[in-house]
Amino acid sequence: MKLKHLGLLAGVAIGAMSMAAPAMAQVTLKIWSIDGNDRVGIADTFSKEFDEANEDIVVEYRIVPFDDLVNETLRAFATGNAPDIVSFDNPDFALFSSRGAMLDITDRIAASEVIKAENYFEGPLNSVTWDGKYFGIPKYTDTIGIFYNKDLFAKAGITEPPKTWAEFAEYAEKLTDPANNVYGATFSARAGEEGTFQFLPIIQEAGGNYDNVNVDGAVEVLDLWKKIVDNGWASKDVLSLGQWDSTGTFNSGNAAMAISGPWEIDRMVSDAKFDWGVALLPTITDGGTRSSALGGFDWGIMSTTKHPDEAFRALEYFAAQDHRIFEEFGNIPARSDIELPVTGIALKDEALKVFQEQLQFAQPRGPHPEWQKISKAIYDAMQQALTGQISAKDALDQAQATIKGIVG
Amino acid sequence: MSRFFNSLRDGVGFDLILVGAALLFLLALAGLPLVYNVLMSFQQVDMFTLGTLIRPWAGFSNYVAVVQQPEFWLVTKNTLIFVFASMGGQFILGFALAIFFAQKFPGASTIRGLFLVSWVMPGLVVGAIWSWILAGDFGVLNTVLKAVGLIDGTVFWKSDPAFSIWAVVIANIWLGLAFNMLLLSVGLAAIPRDLYEAAELDGANAFQRFWTITLPMMRSTIGAVLSLGLIGTLQQFDLFPAITEGGPANTSTVAGYWSWQMSFQLYDFAKGATISVMMFLLVLFASIIYVRSTRHEVRG
Repeated sequence: MKLKHLGLLAGVAIGAMSMAAPAMAQVTLKIWSIDGNDRVGIADTFSKEFDEANEDIVVEYRIVPFDDLVNETLRAFATGNAPDIVSFDNPDFALFSSRGAMLDITDRIAASEVIKAENYFEGPLNSVTWDGKYFGIPKYTDTIGIFYNKDLFAKAGITEPPKTWAEFAEYAEKLTDPANNVYGATFSARAGEEGTFQFLPIIQEAGGNYDNVNVDGAVEVLDLWKKIVDNGWASKDVLSLGQWDSTGTFNSGNAAMAISGPWEIDRMVSDAKFDWGVALLPTITDGGTRSSALGGFDWGIMSTTKHPDEAFRALEYFAAQDHRIFEEFGNIPARSDIELPVTGIALKDEALKVFQEQLQFAQPRGPHPEWQKISKAIYDAMQQALTGQISAKDALDQAQATIKGIVG
Repeated sequence: MSRFFNSLRDGVGFDLILVGAALLFLLALAGLPLVYNVLMSFQQVDMFTLGTLIRPWAGFSNYVAVVQQPEFWLVTKNTLIFVFASMGGQFILGFALAIFFAQKFPGASTIRGLFLVSWVMPGLVVGAIWSWILAGDFGVLNTVLKAVGLIDGTVFWKSDPAFSIWAVVIANIWLGLAFNMLLLSVGLAAIPRDLYEAAELDGANAFQRFWTITLPMMRSTIGAVLSLGLIGTLQQFDLFPAITEGGPANTSTVAGYWSWQMSFQLYDFAKGATISVMMFLLVLFASIIYVRSTRHEVRG
C-alpha cells in the first residue's frame, strides 16, 4: 500500500516537473562548427555539455564541412537563418565582423569574469578584432616551425637547426642526397591558403605585411626558395603539395627539414623512425625580426541572434574549458595563462615547447574582409616566382599592385 | 468553341500543348538560372546581397575587370588547350578503339563493356587516382616512363608550368574516352554491312572504305560526339581541384574552374557569373554545330 502510494507521488512529481520545464522560457541556441564530423571535436563536445548543464537553454549543434562553412553561413545570414554562434577559420573571421555580421562583444568581455582579453595571445586576439572592437574570442591556435631530422643532420655534420633563411638554403644543399631519395627540405608552396600561410611570415619578417608585400627581404628569400627548388634541394612538387602531404615525405625520411605545424606531431611520433626536433622559423638576418603564421579557429556570435546573453554565456562556458582542449583534442589554447600538460612523450613535449614559443611571434592573416583575394595575390606571386615565369621582384611588385587595388 | 477543344485533343492545339509544356520546363529549369546569371554579371554583387535580386547596376564593368585580370589571357589559352586537346584525344582514341572493337574477335564486346568502368567513376575519384599516378617523385607514370627509357629525370607533371595543364588533359582524355567510344561504336554499328561488301567488290582498299563510307555515314554521330565533347570538357571541374588546383601560378586554370574560384573561394560572385556568361557563348556555338549536324542527318 505504501509502495503504491510512493509510486503515485513520484508520478505526480515527475508530471509536475515535466509541466514546469516548458514554463521556464527555453532558449534555443544554434551553434555551427566543423567539429564532430569524423571524430569528437571541441565544438560538439562543449555544446553538448553546455546544453546539459543549462535547463533553460537548448543547443542545436550542426556540423558544417570546412569547405562549405563560409558559403553556408553567408547564405544563412542573407536569408535570415543565421546560427547564433559560429566558429570560423581565423582569416575568414574579418569577412563577417567587418560587415556587421558578428556581434560586438567588447563590453561583455570587459564585464566578464571568465573571458579576459589580456589572457589571449596577441595574434589570435587580433583576428577577432575589427576597428578596435572585439567580435569574438579565439577558439584555439597553431603556427608553423621547422621540423628537422637530427639523424640526417648528424650525418651531414650539422649540429644546429638553421637560424637564417640563407642557412636554411645552405643546409638544404648539404642534406640533399639524390642517391637515397633525400631532399634537403620540404614545404608547401601550394596554390591556396596553405601557400600564403607559409610565405606570409617571411614578408612580415622583412618588415612588410599583407598590404606591403614587395619588401626587399621577402624578394631575397623568395629567390632563395627558387634556388632550393631549381637545384633539386626540395622537390618541385612543393608547388602542389599541401602541408600534410609535404610533411609525409619528411616522416618517411625523404626530406631532412619540413616547414609545418603542431598538427603533425602525433603522426610524426608514430611514423618517423628517427630522432627529430622542432626549431623556430629562420629569420632573414641573424637575430632579425621573428614572425610566424597563425592558424586556428575563432568563436563568434552572429549579430542577428535573438539571445545575445545566452550566447555569450555559451562562449564563457567554452572559454572556461580551454584548459581541456590540448589533452582531449590535441589543439593548442590561444591563451598565455594556460600551461600545457606534460604528455610524457619526450619528442612531443620538446616540440610543443618550441611551438608555444613560436606562437608569441605568430601574426594573423589580415584581418581583412577581402582576405581571400589578397591571399590569392600572394600565393600567385610566390608560384610565378618559383616557376621562373617572372622574377621574384616583379612577381611581388605585381602582387602589391593587385593588393593595393583591393585594400585601397 | 468545340472546334477549339477538338484541336486540343487531336490537332494543332495538342501539338502546341506538348511543345509548350517542354518549353515551360526548359524555361524554368534552364532559362531562369541563365537569365539570373546574365543579370548578375551586370550587377555589383556582394556576398551580403547574394540573396536579393535588386542590386546596383554595374554595366560592363565586371566584363572589363575580368579581361583586365592579369591571368585572363593565360586562362583563355589554358581553356583552349584543355578543350581542344581533350576533345581531340578523346575523339581520336575513342574512334580508334571503336573501330578496333567493331572487328570480330573473341571477347570484343566484353572488353568494350569493361571500358565503361572509366565512365561511371566520379570525376573526383578519377582525379585522386591520376593525382597519384602523375605525382613527381613517386608517381607511377614517371616510373613507367623511366623503365621504358623515354625520360631520364623526373617529370613534375603537376608542378611544372609546362606540363600542369597537360596533366589534367591526360586525366580528362582517360575519363571521356569510354563515352566517345560508346557513341561512335553505335554509329559504326548502324552502317549497313552491304555497303562495305559492295565497295570491296569494286576494289576499294581499307583506307578508301573508311574515307568514303565510314566517315560520311558517321557524319551526324561525329558532330554529336564532338559537340557533346566540347560541352563536357567545358563543364569538367572535378579533375582540377583533385589534381592541380589550377596551379602552379594559374598555369592549369581553365575558365570553368576560374569561375568557381571567383565565386566560391574569393566570394566575387559577379566576376564568377561574368566568366560563366563568357563560357556560355562558347557552348552556344557548340550547340549550333550540334543542331546543324543532326539536321543534315542521312536518312533512309
